Amino acid sequence: MSGPGIPNYLDYPWRRRGLDHDRFLHRNLPQAKPVVWPGKARVALWVAIHVAHFPMDMPRQPFVAPGGVDRPYPSYWDYTQRDYGSRIGIYRLMRALDARGLRATALLNAAVATRYPALAKEIAASQWEIVAAGVDMGRLHHGGLAKTDERALVKEAVGALRGAFKSKIRGWHSPAHSESMRTLDLVAEAGLDYVTDWINDDMPYPVNAESGKLTAMPLAWDLSDLHLLFQQHMDTSEFVEQVLRAFKTLYAEAAQTGSGRILTLTITPWLMGQPHRIRALGAMLDRILEHVGVWPATGAEIVDAWHAGG
Amino acid sequence: MLAEPGHYDYAPYTGRPRIVWPGDARIAVWLAPNIEHYELEPPNNPRKVPWPRPVPDVLNYSHRDYGNRVGFWRLADVMARHGVRGSVSLNVAVCDHYPEIIERCCELGWELFSHGTYNTRYFYDLSEDQQRAVIADSRETILKYSGQSLDGWLTPAITNDETTQHVLAEEGIKYTLDMVHDDQPMPVKVRNGRLISVPYSLEVNDVPLFQNRNTPVERYTAIVKAQFDQLYAEGAESGTVMCMPLHPYLTGQPQRIAALDEALAHIVAHDGVWLATGREIAAWYTEYYYDAFSKWLAAGTPGGRR
Repeated sequence: MSGPGIPNYLDYPWRRRGLDHDRFLHRNLPQAKPVVWPGKARVALWVAIHVAHFPMDMPRQPFVAPGGVDRPYPSYWDYTQRDYGSRIGIYRLMRALDARGLRATALLNAAVATRYPALAKEIAASQWEIVAAGVDMGRLHHGGLAKTDERALVKEAVGALRGAFKSKIRGWHSPAHSESMRTLDLVAEAGLDYVTDWINDDMPYPVNAESGKLTAMPLAWDLSDLHLLFQQHMDTSEFVEQVLRAFKTLYAEAAQTGSGRILTLTITPWLMGQPHRIRALGAMLDRILEHVGVWPATGAEIVDAWHAGG
Repeated sequence: MLAEPGHYDYAPYTGRPRIVWPGDARIAVWLAPNIEHYELEPPNNPRKVPWPRPVPDVLNYSHRDYGNRVGFWRLADVMARHGVRGSVSLNVAVCDHYPEIIERCCELGWELFSHGTYNTRYFYDLSEDQQRAVIADSRETILKYSGQSLDGWLTPAITNDETTQHVLAEEGIKYTLDMVHDDQPMPVKVRNGRLISVPYSLEVNDVPLFQNRNTPVERYTAIVKAQFDQLYAEGAESGTVMCMPLHPYLTGQPQRIAALDEALAHIVAHDGVWLATGREIAAWYTEYYYDAFSKWLAAGTPGGRR
């Protein structure tokens, strides 16, 4: 039996050359213009750290952010496990990175900076780059948000972080990689110039916004500790294995194509900052850094080098 | 509702007519890259919600977009290096959106078959006329961009409705992949015309493995090898089929691509392997075994150890 069908279901308003939206152009990576990194490095190593705050009363709608609290309220376990990241885990990450001369990019919920000024000072002292990552993990940007409310959210996050840090804030990350159709316009309006939510490329690309151009940066999701360790319940050794495999592929590809590549190490203080994992992180970094032609850089430094040499 | 698909009768894995593949091969191995486009703002369907998050689901949309921008190109290079062709499970709108991808497939001698128009346009609740319209669109689009005939079919997101297989046969589709009930091609019972099923796979498929079952990368290679080794061994008695469905947005990631490379190296190192396309498997079976199998099924599957 077949019914009457669904009216207008076979209308395809966006069927055309290119993507089904106007935010950016389609690009086939092998046809992208080669980019030369500083020192002719093969692979830029971008360490991006989710420094997030998960309120214990965070809403479950419209969806729970990855890593979000989903046990019944009041979940002390979920709340404190994540809070551990800001109290302990992140300091372990700082020591591991400092020991290797690496500066990270902090994808920072504004709530962390306002709640924990001592941590903000330590992050500044480590000369990490600050990327504005919204207010907190309970305040998602999504299609159901009114424009004025979303504009206020962006303003609150960027304003608080500009107040807490002297360094210029250029990047944006929406909590949970979630956006409305207008998030990027509001981010550009707030004076930021690069964004990290779309996980569709290994290299930067230009993005359109109402008030100008943004640059998309390839923040890892598939290869993040949040996805592999927390969501997929993988062992630490599998996370390390996958990062090193990705590095090997990208390192070889850079040599083959003559174009620099980016390995984005997206890590989370309450996961990789655990005592039983921190040495694995250090050993993994050492394996990468022993290669010739690795350029450790912040997100903003990579954006600038891409514009200069892309 | 139906209690079973009704497209086949029970057929034991014993006493069957013996299949021999071209060149006396014992196993037909075929790779099915799913080249897809998931829409940012798809229409509603009564039985399936396209995205887990509210539109725009930037995370999940862009994850899939990675396949077309990056993953496909990596996948195609690895397959070409091993001399393995693909049979593309194609959302045909990809021809319009990203014709360079189709050019690369054609340059490599890959088959294109239809996986619907978009992976966000389901067959649930479509009328038969609407199903026919999608099939006709696929036929015209594939012909226009590749010069190929449309022979194979996998319903987008495996959302076939009760009548879909009948409609496929009436529209001249030669093989369907909507059923995973066998390791050999089988005749499909349809109200008009002739249709066969060719084995697809939900077992050595990268979506269930990497996305749903959290499979470590090295385990993926081990699973593919084990699947191959067993079907290769059984192929000494009668030819088997192994399908490797691939999704460029998953297997084309830099941390996973070597796993495919290693699996293919294992397969192509064996003699007696027919590296085929879906169309070639369907054609060989239809030519030499369709009648024999139909006769055997009609006779009540005689033979075996009974």
